[in-house]
Amino acid sequence: MKKRRFLSVLGLIGLTAALLISGCSSQSSTQQGDKVELYMGYSSDPPTKKKMEEIIAKFEQSHPHIKIKTMTAPYDDFYQKLTTQIAAGNAPDLWQSDGTKVFGYAQRGAILDITDYVTKEINKEELNGLEFNKDSDGKYWGVPQGIQVGALFYNKDLFDKAGVPYPTADWTWDDLKAASVKLTLDANGKHADDPAFDKKSVKQYGFAFFGSSRGAFNILKAYGGGVLDPTLKKSIINSPENKKAVEWMVDGMQRKLFPNPADLKAFQSNFKAFLSGAVAMQIDIYAATTSMNGAGLNYDVAPMPKGPDGKRFAPVIANSWVINKKAEEQKVKAAKEWITYWTTSDEAQKEWTEVGEAIPVKKSVANSEMFLNPATKPENKKVFLDTLEFAGTIDTNAVFTEWVKVFTDNLAELFMDKYGTDEFITKTDEGIQKVLDDFFKKQ
Amino acid sequence: MLELQTKQQAKPAVKKRKWLDSEGRWGLLLVSPYLIHFLVFVVGTSVASLYFSFSDYDILNPPKWTGLDNYAKLFEDPLFYRALWNTVYFTILYVPAKTFLALLLAVALNQKLKGLKFFRMVHFLPVISSWTVIAYVADAVFNQRIGFANAFLSKLGLAPQNWLIDEFWVIPVLVLIAIWKSVGYMMIIFLAGLQGISSDMYEAASIDGANAWQKFWRVTVPMISGTTFLVVILNTIYSFQNFEQIFVMTGGSTEAGSTGGANNASLVLMLFMFRQAFSFFKMGYASAIAWVLFLILLAITLIQFKLQKKWVHYD
Repeated sequence: MKKRRFLSVLGLIGLTAALLISGCSSQSSTQQGDKVELYMGYSSDPPTKKKMEEIIAKFEQSHPHIKIKTMTAPYDDFYQKLTTQIAAGNAPDLWQSDGTKVFGYAQRGAILDITDYVTKEINKEELNGLEFNKDSDGKYWGVPQGIQVGALFYNKDLFDKAGVPYPTADWTWDDLKAASVKLTLDANGKHADDPAFDKKSVKQYGFAFFGSSRGAFNILKAYGGGVLDPTLKKSIINSPENKKAVEWMVDGMQRKLFPNPADLKAFQSNFKAFLSGAVAMQIDIYAATTSMNGAGLNYDVAPMPKGPDGKRFAPVIANSWVINKKAEEQKVKAAKEWITYWTTSDEAQKEWTEVGEAIPVKKSVANSEMFLNPATKPENKKVFLDTLEFAGTIDTNAVFTEWVKVFTDNLAELFMDKYGTDEFITKTDEGIQKVLDDFFKKQ
Repeated sequence: MLELQTKQQAKPAVKKRKWLDSEGRWGLLLVSPYLIHFLVFVVGTSVASLYFSFSDYDILNPPKWTGLDNYAKLFEDPLFYRALWNTVYFTILYVPAKTFLALLLAVALNQKLKGLKFFRMVHFLPVISSWTVIAYVADAVFNQRIGFANAFLSKLGLAPQNWLIDEFWVIPVLVLIAIWKSVGYMMIIFLAGLQGISSDMYEAASIDGANAWQKFWRVTVPMISGTTFLVVILNTIYSFQNFEQIFVMTGGSTEAGSTGGANNASLVLMLFMFRQAFSFFKMGYASAIAWVLFLILLAITLIQFKLQKKWVHYD
């Protein structure tokens, strides 16, 4: 009797442990009959989640042998969860990756090299942004899910009030600064070129830039400089072109034409400065149109200005579908079917365009009246498509977040007059190179 | 001592229990849910993080043993010292001020006042509010453009300040807000301590002719020194582990290029660790930071335990 009780106790403990352990690991059965269950991850907010579910339902109708199970969460949560899932070996078979993170997964061996599939089955002529996921060895790691490209956003009301003509495609960065002088106002309504202008009480700024895709990176590039060389393993910060660009920025900050990091902080979020109508121009990407339309802003877009030698640069981020390196063969096959559906089906492309979150990856849909619809703001959406001709990636590699942190931290110190341009250049060059070496030298 | 020994001898010798007799097994069964949880989620994770701290671990791939590399790197990292100093500075301002204020409030609210419950509740309200809410309220005061603090300064003819980004101001302002948010909790602990002091003590002091101030210093303070000790330890640990406030108020988004707190003026150890782990995929390095943080806290707590003999009285 006693022995039996003891055994039952042991059994219970074992059962509890088993439950705990099984709760932590692996997916349950993945295949029912002939159906393949494809596990898919994407980051979302309520409108994109709803739309994605609709598209999935349509896909399942036309692909009855595939059943899609999803994992989704808001941006930050999604990537945290995904990271732990990859570590635990139960990540989705397929996920939508932020364009800036694709090489991070690739260079850490988490996603599948899909060069073969892309070259054989994807029609490059019909697709926007495919080349942005190709690494320096010519391998493809993802297929675009939606394209983000940068442009100069401007507040039409503020331009009208100041009597300044709207930005044009011919603008240089110096033209932008000249316009900023007239668009910067202090509390007494004095312009920045007025001798009585009070720098301590600026209530409207000409132009704002911050972060990576919306920031200084673009100006360095237009001036012929940049941050990393084409191998993305070496810093090229220390160059006369960069110095010239940085001096141009510092001059604008010191004259209070551009808000510095402390000025932006006063708006709670960097984005609110432009959204609240306190800034006349800002670099931003297509996704920003959603919040700007939500705020009822009267705005439009122009191409990014040119540098002193006529060079032009705009940032592009190709958010992409990537496939888990550990996915089983039949799931990889199903994942490819989904990607092909996503990139070729007019139905899926049009549905997704409706949320207004990204530029469609299928060229025919991007060029259609549906996307270019002049009835919704910004009127000049064609700017985004034209920009794709000269746009480039923002040097995204495995340590992107880390070098960007060094870059933006140092820029902030520079803009807050902690040190001068020369010190910024040497310090940033060393700091970024150290981040790169830490990762690439070890491999 | 002698008395104790005789007592023990007087007791009948306890029969040595066999390991895991029926009663023992039942005991084990009943504590097993906790035990399993403890072994898996406390001991297990601690051992794992200790192992990670000696390895190169990017979360996505299995850890590779690298010995003391992470620790060596950590002690050469200027940002680590920056974060450590910010944390220590925060603690130096935070612990004494908050402990003193909590005691003062507790004494004030231990009197027979009208609306006592209301006042106690008011001071406890920020404790139960989330940091996001507190951040909004704090922004109304410390926002550089529209905040109440700068409006007040300009009324006095003084220059406005960048409270939450300026290197001089950011930590004191964060401390101020942190104290306001959580002082109510420590006040409750003190109140419980105060109510444990017998009124005889005060009566005796009155008869001896002590005034209110003397009663506070000579009776209240020594009598609740045990509570004060607890509060000091809790506050120290809390201030070293402060993450949420810094994350919410000076911005620590994992998104690339977010500039909030960009000048690292408010970078504390917890935020530093979070960034390494979840923004930069350096879980090994982050684990090393965690262990160093743990050792620092352990050392401080041990020192406090040593020092308590000098000032803490248990009746």
